[in-house]
Amino acid sequence: MMFSRRKFSSLLLGLICLVALISTTPALVASQIETISILMPAPFADSTVKLVDNFNTLYKNQIHLNVIRGPRQTESMSDLAISSLLLGDTPFDGLLMDITWLPKYARAGWLEGLDPYFDETDIADLASGAEKGNDFEGTLYRWPLVADMGLLFWRTDLMNTPPKTPSELVSISNQLQTQGKVPWGYVWQGRQYEGLSCVYLEMIDGFGGDWFDVNNQSLGLNEVPGVEAAQWLTDLIETGISPRAVTTFAEPEALRNFQSGESAFMRNWPYAWAELQKQDSPVRGKIGISTMVSLPGVEPASTLGSWGFTLLRGSNHKDAVIKAIKYLTSAEAQRVMFIEHGYTPTVKALYEDLELIQDYPHLALLSRALNNAVLRPETPIYAQISDVLQRSLSASLTGEEKPKLSMNRADRSSEQILVAAGGTPS
Amino acid sequence: MILIALLLPSIIFLGIVFGFPLLSYLWLSLHANSVLTSFRSIFNGWANWNRFIHDYRYWQDFLQTIRFSVASVGIELLLGLIIALILHRPMKFRGWIRSSSLIPWALPTTVMALGWRWIFNSPFGPIDQFTTALGAQSLNILGNPSTAWIATVYSDVWKTTPFVALILLAGLQSIPADLYEACRLEGASASSCFRRITLPLLMPYIGLAAMFRLAQAFGVFDLIQVMTGGGPASSTESIALYAYLNALRFLDFGYGATIIIGSFILLSILVASCWFFVHLFNRKRSIMITK
Repeated sequence: MMFSRRKFSSLLLGLICLVALISTTPALVASQIETISILMPAPFADSTVKLVDNFNTLYKNQIHLNVIRGPRQTESMSDLAISSLLLGDTPFDGLLMDITWLPKYARAGWLEGLDPYFDETDIADLASGAEKGNDFEGTLYRWPLVADMGLLFWRTDLMNTPPKTPSELVSISNQLQTQGKVPWGYVWQGRQYEGLSCVYLEMIDGFGGDWFDVNNQSLGLNEVPGVEAAQWLTDLIETGISPRAVTTFAEPEALRNFQSGESAFMRNWPYAWAELQKQDSPVRGKIGISTMVSLPGVEPASTLGSWGFTLLRGSNHKDAVIKAIKYLTSAEAQRVMFIEHGYTPTVKALYEDLELIQDYPHLALLSRALNNAVLRPETPIYAQISDVLQRSLSASLTGEEKPKLSMNRADRSSEQILVAAGGTPS
Repeated sequence: MILIALLLPSIIFLGIVFGFPLLSYLWLSLHANSVLTSFRSIFNGWANWNRFIHDYRYWQDFLQTIRFSVASVGIELLLGLIIALILHRPMKFRGWIRSSSLIPWALPTTVMALGWRWIFNSPFGPIDQFTTALGAQSLNILGNPSTAWIATVYSDVWKTTPFVALILLAGLQSIPADLYEACRLEGASASSCFRRITLPLLMPYIGLAAMFRLAQAFGVFDLIQVMTGGGPASSTESIALYAYLNALRFLDFGYGATIIIGSFILLSILVASCWFFVHLFNRKRSIMITK
């Protein structure tokens, strides 16, 4: 009895030693591995799982990339990032960010410049248009993962060519509506939210104006094109080309209306293409993509929305993060993201890939829209001035206020924000 | 002299806790301190205040906050009074019923707001499931600017009515029973007993509950932040949430401070005028009684 107990305890001791040995071995290896983490919004964290796994296998025993799955909503995601960055201690090395956040983060001094890591040839490899919105005040801070741009979707069974100018869009709509072919002409995003700013940006640029000139820090909302753009959008509703409900539409509502054949035109993002071409879609095979309408002689404009990687200044693993960014944004990775998740590529090579073009003929159209991409104002106070614009536009679209008056007000309020926040007074 | 010396510790304490932050916010409201100035304070005179006066988002939020406060506190007082009257009656398991009625109030706001967000969710919440099962359209309560604020009021009422009921119950218990006896002996009806005895004697407690609740409702933040985040189209945004957004989302600390000081002044005026009217009302009544 005594003996067996002693035997048992020595066995136990041996077992403990063994366990301790086994558990320390990976720890020894792990200490040589650089562990880096990148914060991404939930949809991106989910769609990049496979790529991240591939990266970790490729750099086995060297780098371990850990993706932090952030909230789904863009604003909650930014709130989360800002609150940890304000504390000065960043729990992540990289951040996948929306195009409109960049000036704010860069000015706050949270981002590391990427110029030492990406040179001229890297930038030349980007598709025309995708190079926009990655720098702030002359420094490169962001490398794009996906592009997104405003498109005009039209029905190929109702017309031969898409409209080029605002008045063409109106006259084609009128004609189709009086013929009874469609109940509505044009659907877009008219709800009071960021999508409305994107719609308006395309129109003010299409009428030859400019929302905010970054160089002079001057606003153009109450100048002729600014007021005309607001007036045109308001008239669409008042003349019955767009349904009154368009003032409650975001992207999904506009898509639902257009997909069920209720309208001849829709403004939306590239993701809508795949939805419209699904097997059960009533308008399958009857859809064309074009750029937004603009006055004769004025370049059409597509609002650029894109997500890209940034490197945080507080990171201790900068080279490892750059390796991860380069891997995740490579042409091969983007091909996977495009085919499996429909993300619009940002590298030129994919738009020139004959095999890909054969399977996805709309790539050429996307490339043309990306070429016409325009940026929302590149200012750290973008969120505030966009909010002011959305409010004024909404008041004008719902008929509470005349477009001229509301654009005047938006211009003045934006100016007050700029001055109060310490921008250059004019 | 001794009086001042005795008061000094509390004066110093109040100065540190309330005076210092208020003064530093006042100072900040006269400066630009934002991401544009790289978080340095640069004197900009009345620019923040000029923006504040013309900021229609703020004034919308101000009206919305008042709407929220008045609606929720009003309903809470009414329901609280009814519940207090019920709980005051002798009945079986009164202790149990009284303590279990406090459960909503004991829940952390964040937890209960998250719960209500799910209940009102469209299309997965039970309310939407119920209406769509009946063949009606999805209500999308939290997605519609004209109904979202009602949902926030509803949740606030659900949570804080027990608190009001508790204060009013304490008030009811302080009313001597012989007053009611005398009332009945005089042959007065139950409703006139309520109007002549219960309500007047309960007035100080109602006032106390209203003051507590109004102050809290005016600064509502957690409930709104969790339930709607201020949306849709900032139709449920409160002043506190807007101040938070300016500081932490827009990184404009100067204007955030302006909102806080501005709201402090407005609230002070509001409370002072309420107090004035109550005072006027009381004096009128006491004159009537003496006559």
